[in-house]
Amino acid sequence: MSEPVAGAPPVAPDPPAAQPWLAQPVLARQNRLHLSLVWIVPIVAVIAGAVLVVRALLATGPEITIEFRSAEGIEAGRTEVRFKEVSVGRVKQVQLAQDRQRVLVTVGLAKSAAGLAVEDTRFWVVRPRIGTAGVSGLSTLFSGAYIGVDAGESEDSRREFNGLDSPPLVLRGEPGRSFVLRAVDLGSLDVGSPVYHRRVRVGRVVGYALDDGGRGLLVKVFIESPHEKLVTARSRFWNASGVDIALTASGLSVHTQSMASLLAGGIAFADAPLGPEVRAGAVAAPAQPGQQFQLFEKARDAMAPEDGEPLPVRMVFQQSLRGLEPGAPVELLGVAIGTVRTVELLGEGAANNVALAVGADLYPARLGRLRQQLAGSAVAQAQADRVLLGRLVERGLRAQASTGNLLTGQMLVALEFAPKAAAVAFDAQALVPTLPTVPGPLADIQPRLAEVVDRLARVRFDEIGTELQGALGSLRGSGSSLQGTLAAAEAMIKQLTPEARQALVDVQKTLAAANAALAGAQQSLGHADATLLAPGAPLQVQGQQTLAELQRAAQAMRVLADYLQRHPESLLRGKPADALEPAR
Amino acid sequence: MDAAADARTLGLLRCECCALVLESADGSHAPCPRCGFTLHARKPQSLQRTAAYLTAAVVLYVPANLLPVMATQSVFGRDSHTIAGGIHDLWTTGSHELALIVFIASIAVPILKIAALSLLVWSCARRSTQRQRERAQMYRLVETVGHWSMLDVFVVVLLVGMVRFGALAGVEPEPGLLAFGAVVVSTMLASASFDPRLIWPEGER
Repeated sequence: MSEPVAGAPPVAPDPPAAQPWLAQPVLARQNRLHLSLVWIVPIVAVIAGAVLVVRALLATGPEITIEFRSAEGIEAGRTEVRFKEVSVGRVKQVQLAQDRQRVLVTVGLAKSAAGLAVEDTRFWVVRPRIGTAGVSGLSTLFSGAYIGVDAGESEDSRREFNGLDSPPLVLRGEPGRSFVLRAVDLGSLDVGSPVYHRRVRVGRVVGYALDDGGRGLLVKVFIESPHEKLVTARSRFWNASGVDIALTASGLSVHTQSMASLLAGGIAFADAPLGPEVRAGAVAAPAQPGQQFQLFEKARDAMAPEDGEPLPVRMVFQQSLRGLEPGAPVELLGVAIGTVRTVELLGEGAANNVALAVGADLYPARLGRLRQQLAGSAVAQAQADRVLLGRLVERGLRAQASTGNLLTGQMLVALEFAPKAAAVAFDAQALVPTLPTVPGPLADIQPRLAEVVDRLARVRFDEIGTELQGALGSLRGSGSSLQGTLAAAEAMIKQLTPEARQALVDVQKTLAAANAALAGAQQSLGHADATLLAPGAPLQVQGQQTLAELQRAAQAMRVLADYLQRHPESLLRGKPADALEPAR
Repeated sequence: MDAAADARTLGLLRCECCALVLESADGSHAPCPRCGFTLHARKPQSLQRTAAYLTAAVVLYVPANLLPVMATQSVFGRDSHTIAGGIHDLWTTGSHELALIVFIASIAVPILKIAALSLLVWSCARRSTQRQRERAQMYRLVETVGHWSMLDVFVVVLLVGMVRFGALAGVEPEPGLLAFGAVVVSTMLASASFDPRLIWPEGER
């Protein structure tokens, strides 16, 4: 537009001639470039803008969608996605899923984190969590929730993910090894409960689930590196929650792991003790990942030799089994070899005769050497155990319900050898063999008690009293005859006094007579002695008998009192017809 | 306007600096003999320059709005804000007036400026004679409003300077601000390069 106008413009009058009062500019050479240099500016702008946009585009990674159960704490444009506490993306959008059951969170990942968008990557929302295992995600109290990532290792990329409800307990690539423990119940364990070895925390519980049948529980534990090598095939795990108090012959012993496990529960493991034959040079190899172990209730159970398969047996008792509860031990000569499982009533054949059937599990493995010595060469071990049991019964093994604890009245089943026992048939083929029983000591007490009471009733207390009185009367007679003799002597002496002189000659005679009288008295005294003091004296014997009877009466009374205390109703109703009382 | 004769048709030049009137058949690009200011009958290459600056402004407008202009750093984390995001936040948090102000200053005004100047350049290149007065009014409006275009930049620069609480809080400029500032500068240069006298092309009625 700065071109000079060529030719005279039509509107203008004459071309301006040189007018002397106007200054003349000094003409300079004009830059006639049509394209201004100013176009560099937009070019630079294009380049700069392109660089900015391209850089921004390059920094933008893939966009992924994560499904969560709830969007609590997630804000579009604000919530970050963090991997190892490094921000790798940001939530762009939060919206409800089509079915309104879940929340769809759209996340823009950073370019550098594009590798996270693969098949097995896991996402979860990090919120503050407070549990028995500790406090986590505390920083999110201030910064707000963020989405945590556990990077997957897969090669297949993926754009849609299902978010986890809680953080995964084992991050990929975390060094260590996980194992599975079979447990009866969870106890006070929880996810995150510690796992101890020699009271050092080496791992944690990372999950649990009921097994398929619902009959047991599978607890997954993770042992952190470098401790995972400590778990070997010989390792035994037990529940170290709470306090293990045991009152043994050696006193009271209390075992705990740590204060934390006291409150939060925990699992401990150690190697089982080796038998002497394998102790030499045996180094167990580390267990394989995922290997199953049993989780024992107590350290003692865990360290005990393995019980193997239980052998169920049945015992029928004809007596009251008050105090015998499931879980009571079955002892063979004082060694616990089994556990009572059931106690149930059953009508046994004869009318009005109610018996008790006790089901118990025997652990033949606890028999040790005895098992190896006596078991025949049966095909199956279970059959061999039954045969072994049959042999023991042949030798007189009988079950007996006996009192285990006098204070609590708890009973146990004692297997004792009764040499006089009558031979019984034992069916070794039965699935649940029946062990023959004999009445226990308690069962014997009742007839004995009745006998004592009877005998007590037969004692003739009145006769004893009369005899005693007679004896005392004869004693008194002896004493008075002595007195009489002395009085006679005195009278004779008095008679002698006035005519002493005359009688001096006779004195000797009189004295001799007195002597004779004294000898008579002595004789009487000796007689009394014999009556009262000599061993085998009737009085003494009868007294002793009386005292013994009294003692027995007192015992009987005590038993009676006990019985009354237990069966106070018998005061009113009398002693019930006891079916269990053996016929007299 | 039929009888209008401007300085140029009369063969006169006026120095824009010292107002010296010179006689000139073709005196453009010569320095003023009195003050040395470059004389020109019209701003040199006005339409080209305006168009160039406008192109730059349009190009830079894209990153200016896509990229964050500001990042706030606090104990809660680091947040980047784009202009549109800031307006959205203001609107959703209830500050409708503030949102409106920011919207007008940061989005509406630059767009209007670019659009108005583009229209002027286009019409002048066509040597259009329609609605010359309105176009002139529009130019004056653009010039007036243009003074306020740097508002956003000033706000961010002030924040960056003032909000420095160490680890607790801080504000940092981001690349978008640079682009936005460039947009504003480009539009200002464009409006400065435009010569409103071109609205009345010579030889046209």
